[in-house]
Amino acid sequence: MIRTVIIDDERLARNELKKLLQEFPEIEIIAEAANANEGIEKIDTLNPDLIFLDIQMPGKTGFDMLSELDKAPDVIFTTAYDDYALKAFEVNALDYLLKPVEPRRLADAIQKLHLEDGRLGLAENDEEIAVNKSLLHETDQVFVKDGERCWFVKLADIRLFESVGNYAKIYFSSHKPLILKSLNALEERLDEKVFFRANRKHIVNLRLIEKIEPYFNGGLLLELKGGEKIEVSRRQTVKFKEMMSL
Amino acid sequence: MLVVVLILINVLYGQRIDKQFHLTLWILVLAGIGSTHLFRMYIQGSGLLLLPVEKALPRLAFGVLIVCLLDTVLRISAINLLDASGSNRKLELSPRFLLVTVENGLCIIPWTLIYYFFHYIEKSRTQQLDTLKLEALVKELELKTIKSHINPHFIFNALNSIRALIDENPLRARTAITELSNILRSSMQTEKQETVFFEKELNIVKDYLALEHIRFEDRLKVQYEIAENTLAQPIPPMMLQTLVENAIKHGISKQVNGGTVTIVSQMKESYHKLVIRNTGRLSNMGNEDGFGLISTRSRLQLLFGGQANFYIREINGNMVEAELHIPLT
Repeated sequence: MIRTVIIDDERLARNELKKLLQEFPEIEIIAEAANANEGIEKIDTLNPDLIFLDIQMPGKTGFDMLSELDKAPDVIFTTAYDDYALKAFEVNALDYLLKPVEPRRLADAIQKLHLEDGRLGLAENDEEIAVNKSLLHETDQVFVKDGERCWFVKLADIRLFESVGNYAKIYFSSHKPLILKSLNALEERLDEKVFFRANRKHIVNLRLIEKIEPYFNGGLLLELKGGEKIEVSRRQTVKFKEMMSL
Repeated sequence: MLVVVLILINVLYGQRIDKQFHLTLWILVLAGIGSTHLFRMYIQGSGLLLLPVEKALPRLAFGVLIVCLLDTVLRISAINLLDASGSNRKLELSPRFLLVTVENGLCIIPWTLIYYFFHYIEKSRTQQLDTLKLEALVKELELKTIKSHINPHFIFNALNSIRALIDENPLRARTAITELSNILRSSMQTEKQETVFFEKELNIVKDYLALEHIRFEDRLKVQYEIAENTLAQPIPPMMLQTLVENAIKHGISKQVNGGTVTIVSQMKESYHKLVIRNTGRLSNMGNEDGFGLISTRSRLQLLFGGQANFYIREINGNMVEAELHIPLT
C-alpha cells in the first residue's frame, strides 16, 4: 500500500482527485489537508509515502511547504495552470498533473512511482523506519528551493553542508542552494556514520571524499568529489581517524 | 520664370534685342531646361531626397556646380557655332566663361533650392502622417491584448470544480457551465467594443464570482452595493472583471480563512464611481506581475486621456480598496 495524503485548498478538487484515485487500489488515502500548515502537520504525524500537492494555496505555496519539511515524501504536484510553476517543473523534471486531471496521466505518474521506488515497500523495512524515525536516512530526499529553482535531492548526493549565518549551503552536482536550517540542527538529524562534522562551519559526506591530506597543527585537509577543500579541525581529526581506522 | 530671369539678365547687360538675341535666348532656355532636367533625374535616381539635410546639401551644391558648368559649355559652344561673324572665341577659362557660369548659377541655384525644399516638406509631412497611423495601430493592438487577457488559472480551476460537481450537485454543475460560457463569450466579444453597459459587465462579474464561490465555498463572501441609476452607464469591458479577478487572486486566495469582496457602484456629479474592496494586504496585491493594475491604468489612459482616475489603497490594515472614476459622457 502507498500511504497517501492529498493537500489542496479546494474541497471539490480533493474530492475529484479521491474519486480518480479509487481506480488505484494500491493508493490508500490516509489524510487530507486544506493548506500548507495542515499539510506539514499531517506529514509529520503520519509520515506518508506519497503526497498529492497543490501549488497555489493560501498562506504558503506547495513549494514553500515542501522546503520546510526535514525530509520530503514522494510528491506529485497538481496545478490548474501556472506559468511560474510549470517552468520549475520543466527545469527539474518533477512529476506534475494539470487540473482537471486526465486519468491516463494519473496512471502514468503512479506507474512511475512503482518503477523508481523499490525502496517504498522493499528496501526499507518497517522496523528500520520505526527505530530511526527522527534520523534522516541516506536514501531520504529533501526538497530544496532557491529563488526560482527547486530540486529533490537525495541526501546521499549531498557532498557538503556549509554554514552561512542562519542558513546552510548545500553542495550537490553543480548546484549549491541555501536552505533555512542551522548546521547544528542538521547535525542532530543526519546519520553520523555518513555525515561528519569536519569543523565549525562544515559537515561533509564521508562517502564523497576524494582525497585526504595531512594539514597544519595535526589537522587534515579533505578534498571532496566536487573539488571543494575542507579543513578538519584538530579535535575532529582525532575523531575522524578513530572512525576511519575501525 | 527661367526665361523671364534670363531676359532680365540680358537686358541688364544692355544687349540689343534682335534676331540674334532671340536665338541665343532659345539656346539658353533649352540648355537650361535640358541640364536641370538631367539634374532632376539624378536627384530622383540617387535617392538624394531621402537623405538627411546635412548630407544632402553638399551633394546638391556639387550637383549645382556641375550643372552650371555644363550649361555654360553648352551655351558658349552653341553661340560660337551660330556666330557667323567668325570672331572665333575659344572655349577656355576666360573671365567671360566665369561670368556665364555665375549667370547660370543665378538661375539654377534658386531652381534647385525650391525643388529640394518643396519635396523635403512634402516628405516630412507624409512621414508625420505615417507615424500617427503607426501610433494608432499600436494603441489598438495594446487595447486588444489587454482586453483579451483572461486568467487561464481561473478557467482550468473552474473546469476542475465543475467536474467534481457533476456527481455531487448536477444542477449546480449545469448552471456553472452556463456561467463559464458567459464569461468566455464576453471576453471574446469585448475585442470588438470600446465600452459596454455597466449592467452587462456586472452580470459577467456576478457569473465569475459565482464560479469562484464554487471553488472557495465559504471562504468567499460577496456583497453588492449597486445604485440603480449606474446600470446604463458605459464602461470599458472586462475592466471591473480584471479588478475583481485581482481581488480574488491576490486577496481572497491568499487568506487561509478567506474573506469578503464588496462591489460598490455610485453616481457622482461628474463621474461614475466604482469601488472593489477585498480582504487582504496591499503588499500582496499585484506584486507578482501587476498586470491587472498596469493594464487598468493604461486602458483608462488610452480611452479617456487624463479624465479618468484609478486609485488602490489599503484600509484598516486588512482590506484593500480599488477605486475607479469614469467620466460621464
